[in-house]
Amino acid sequence: MNNPKEVTRILFENFHPQAIHLFYAFGYASIAVFIYGCYVQIRKYRRGKPDGSWGELLHRFIDMVKTMATHRTLVRRDKSAGRAHGLIFLGFVLLFIGTSTITLEYDIIEPLIGVRFWYGNFYLWFSLVLDLAGLGLIGGLIYMMYRRKWLHLPKLDYKRVDRQLGGADIDRSEYRREDWAFLWSFILIGVTGFILEATRLVWLSGRPSVWDYRIWSPVGALIAHIMKFVGFTPEGAGTLRLGLWWFHGLLSLTFIAFIPYTKIKHIFTAAASLMFKDPLAGRRLPRVPDEQKVAGYKTITDLTWKNLLHLDACTKCGRCQEACPANAVGAPLSPRDVILSLREFANHTLNAKELPKEAELDIHGKDIGQVFMETLWSCRTCLACVEICPVAIEHVPIIVQMRRNLVEAGEMDPLLEKTLQTIHKTGNSFGESKRKRASWVKELPFRIKDARLEPVDFLWFVGDYASFDPRNQKVTQGFARLMKKAGVDFGLLFEGELNAGNDVRRVGEEGLYEYLATANIQSLDDCQFKSIVTTDPHSYNTIRNEYPDFGGTYEIQHYSTVVKKLIEDGRLPLAKKLNYKVTFHDPCHLGRFNKGYDAPRDILKMLGCELVEMGRTKDNSFCCGAGGGRIWIPDPVGIEKPSQNRMKEAAVIEGLQIFVVSCPKDLTMFEDALKTSGYEGKFIVRELIELIDECMEYDFPEKEIAEEKMVVETHSVI
Amino acid sequence: MKILVAVKQVAALDEDFEIRADKKDVEEDFLLYDLNEWDDFSLEEAMKIKESTDTEVEVVVVSVGPDRVDESLRKCLAKGADRAIRVWDDAIEGSDSIVISRILAEVAKKEMPDMVFAGVQSSDQAFSATGISTAAYLNWPHAAVVADLQYKLGSSSAMIRRELEGGMLQEVEINCPAVLTIQLGINKPRYASLRGIKQAAAKPIEEVALSDIGLSAADVGAGSSMSRVRRMYIPAKGRAQMIEGTIAEQATKLIQIINEFKGA
Ligand code: SF4
Ligand code: SF4
Repeated sequence: MNNPKEVTRILFENFHPQAIHLFYAFGYASIAVFIYGCYVQIRKYRRGKPDGSWGELLHRFIDMVKTMATHRTLVRRDKSAGRAHGLIFLGFVLLFIGTSTITLEYDIIEPLIGVRFWYGNFYLWFSLVLDLAGLGLIGGLIYMMYRRKWLHLPKLDYKRVDRQLGGADIDRSEYRREDWAFLWSFILIGVTGFILEATRLVWLSGRPSVWDYRIWSPVGALIAHIMKFVGFTPEGAGTLRLGLWWFHGLLSLTFIAFIPYTKIKHIFTAAASLMFKDPLAGRRLPRVPDEQKVAGYKTITDLTWKNLLHLDACTKCGRCQEACPANAVGAPLSPRDVILSLREFANHTLNAKELPKEAELDIHGKDIGQVFMETLWSCRTCLACVEICPVAIEHVPIIVQMRRNLVEAGEMDPLLEKTLQTIHKTGNSFGESKRKRASWVKELPFRIKDARLEPVDFLWFVGDYASFDPRNQKVTQGFARLMKKAGVDFGLLFEGELNAGNDVRRVGEEGLYEYLATANIQSLDDCQFKSIVTTDPHSYNTIRNEYPDFGGTYEIQHYSTVVKKLIEDGRLPLAKKLNYKVTFHDPCHLGRFNKGYDAPRDILKMLGCELVEMGRTKDNSFCCGAGGGRIWIPDPVGIEKPSQNRMKEAAVIEGLQIFVVSCPKDLTMFEDALKTSGYEGKFIVRELIELIDECMEYDFPEKEIAEEKMVVETHSVI
Repeated sequence: MKILVAVKQVAALDEDFEIRADKKDVEEDFLLYDLNEWDDFSLEEAMKIKESTDTEVEVVVVSVGPDRVDESLRKCLAKGADRAIRVWDDAIEGSDSIVISRILAEVAKKEMPDMVFAGVQSSDQAFSATGISTAAYLNWPHAAVVADLQYKLGSSSAMIRRELEGGMLQEVEINCPAVLTIQLGINKPRYASLRGIKQAAAKPIEEVALSDIGLSAADVGAGSSMSRVRRMYIPAKGRAQMIEGTIAEQATKLIQIINEFKGA
């Protein structure tokens, strides 16, 4: 090796001192503009309300680094885009570290303590790594350009779905232009970087300490050879280099200055958003403090700083929109549009030095940046958007907070209003007398314990649909038989049970939710039991995740877990095997909300069924349309319902016999959709409990004839 | 400017109810109480007037009834009423609607409102008399079954449309102050959120005794009423039968039944 100290990259060689000063001036200016931009953004976030996500910072930070390093959330459901982004990300990070290393030596360590390290072997490896990083960066960017130009992905069409054609802000083409400006400027920085490297090699090809080590910057060397081949002299290359050097340098500095003002800021906002991710987002909604006058979000400053940060983190990738059931059936809602509208609104109102008047901060309405009431009411709070967002944006809490405000103002569907009043009056959404809640037990050939009077192992929280809906009562009775057969010690709250409140809360009627939750907690606290069990995933979610905020912490299990264990333990012997070809629909509140994907599938296998998955399954399950209180709001006629869309998806499965659900609302929604979507007779919809029930042999004293009949019916349809 | 809105907490029957031992009413356990549906509309009409102007308009709700009525009054307060008054004395038990209206009239005399609104009727008793007899006691002009109201604040008269039978409307100009009984559908009542109702607990409900409005126990109750409940019962179910078959068969069957009835 030559003198290792000489093996390094020249900086500012042959530059006039004035030129160097000029460059530094640009550098400082760019950093100043950058810092000011960051200041304005932070000032914007600080105009939001406080948020409690500050705990466990170290833990959060490690999680964030893991997510970013693995790109886990980015490769999900879109491998190529995720990997391309990975290359850009890695390239950028390495090049950034590289440039910082040079600055560290040249501007800080060497002038201060006279130590150098950027030479010799370290320099050579450094140079190789950065060359490859640059190559990856350019490769990733080229794929992104290809994707934007030729793949015509619907999710990259920013045209709003929540506005009528002809509206002022419908096409959002400025976002498209921004994307392209970003891609071009970034790729130009990369390409000029390489050519610059090549010109340096050609220019200094007479110096062995440079030319002999060219293989350590392979891309630059390749270009250098080409340049030599086409006849570049060292002097010519030197001249070209000077011009290019300024172009590359100024472009890079401008790029840095632009970060806080453009989509590039997602480097920071997305990272922060990931860091402050709430694993229970949407599963446990925020409480409204008692002293707060008006519930929910009315103005942009009602949002918390974290919400405001989320708005800026969105990269418009469209994955949420693609997963959204409301969007799929043409409802005026796209989770991305909600986020972008509010972002535009926040930038418009909160970036200024002075906060505008209260009236100008209203986020509800029909103006640019405001969110339509129809949009908010279209949401089924299914969490598909929150689940897939690669940067951990939490749409649903924002949507529900905004609905809370609509509820307070009475801006809701009249039928929904009626239902809420009914629930307040009777404690259930069916408007039935409290006394009738457990009337389904009368048809059973055995007695069920009253958990209010005697201790039980399992307290069964039944839920409204399973209690009052005649079709679901059959399933409920089936589950009672299973529990009885297995000899489980269980009991009910009977008329002491009220609607669990999960959907009431997601509608946004927080006061009613508090009333229901506290009443139920009181009843539960008065009983003695080891665990709660329920067949209703909605009740399951709110009792499991939300009751603790109101002082009710219980162990609760969905029936699928309990029954799976009972079968495994031999307490529910299967008298026969079912050979049905089935598919399984994950209920949002069991699957995505609470990760209960496996137990129902395991049971299906134990029963002998052949399980064929639908395209959208598990975490990408497609909501039946009943969530978020939408079961109480009639769907518009003439457009497809999410449940019908789902039937279409299931019907694709060759030879499908049974569409299995494990949620009372699903049973109602899909049995209806089966008829209206024209697949009746092709396959049937059944609750998992009914299939288990079919495999049982009971020896209860009476009523077996009725059971037989039900089973026969099941067969005859198939 | 002040509007007095007379409201009532009505009872709805639970399924499978039982009649009280004295056979004069339903056993209290089987009753679900709520604000009378008509009163939602009359309160909303008052609130609309209040909200349509910058002038101070006070909306006061008044009801005659025991403690439990506070819950319904709170709902009214949650919807925006400024004040609530509840009149009660155990002696009032058993009063008919004429006596109740006398009490309301005395409250109105004290409050001196510019308008009195009441619902057309209550959903449980359906007398449709309270509002109008209040006007009689006050000796004020009145209009019943008001389906549309055009009233300018401070004006000496109002234009109203009253609903008549057979889908007819009658347009009437009425001098103010007046008593109007408001019909369903005149407006869209607002929703009282539960948080609103809870927060309304801070607003005052004034409890008024008979002596405060110049009445005594002798003026009220079943004894002073012109009508009294003698018995409450479930009438025996009638019989119904579906006649099936062709038209000719149905006709034959019908004639046969009529003949049986005649012959019997
Ligand atoms: S929760 Fe579901 S329905 Fe609501 S915006 Fe997200 S994906 Fe769409
Ligand atoms: S909200 Fe998340 S998923 Fe939706 S477009 Fe933005 S970044 Fe993508």
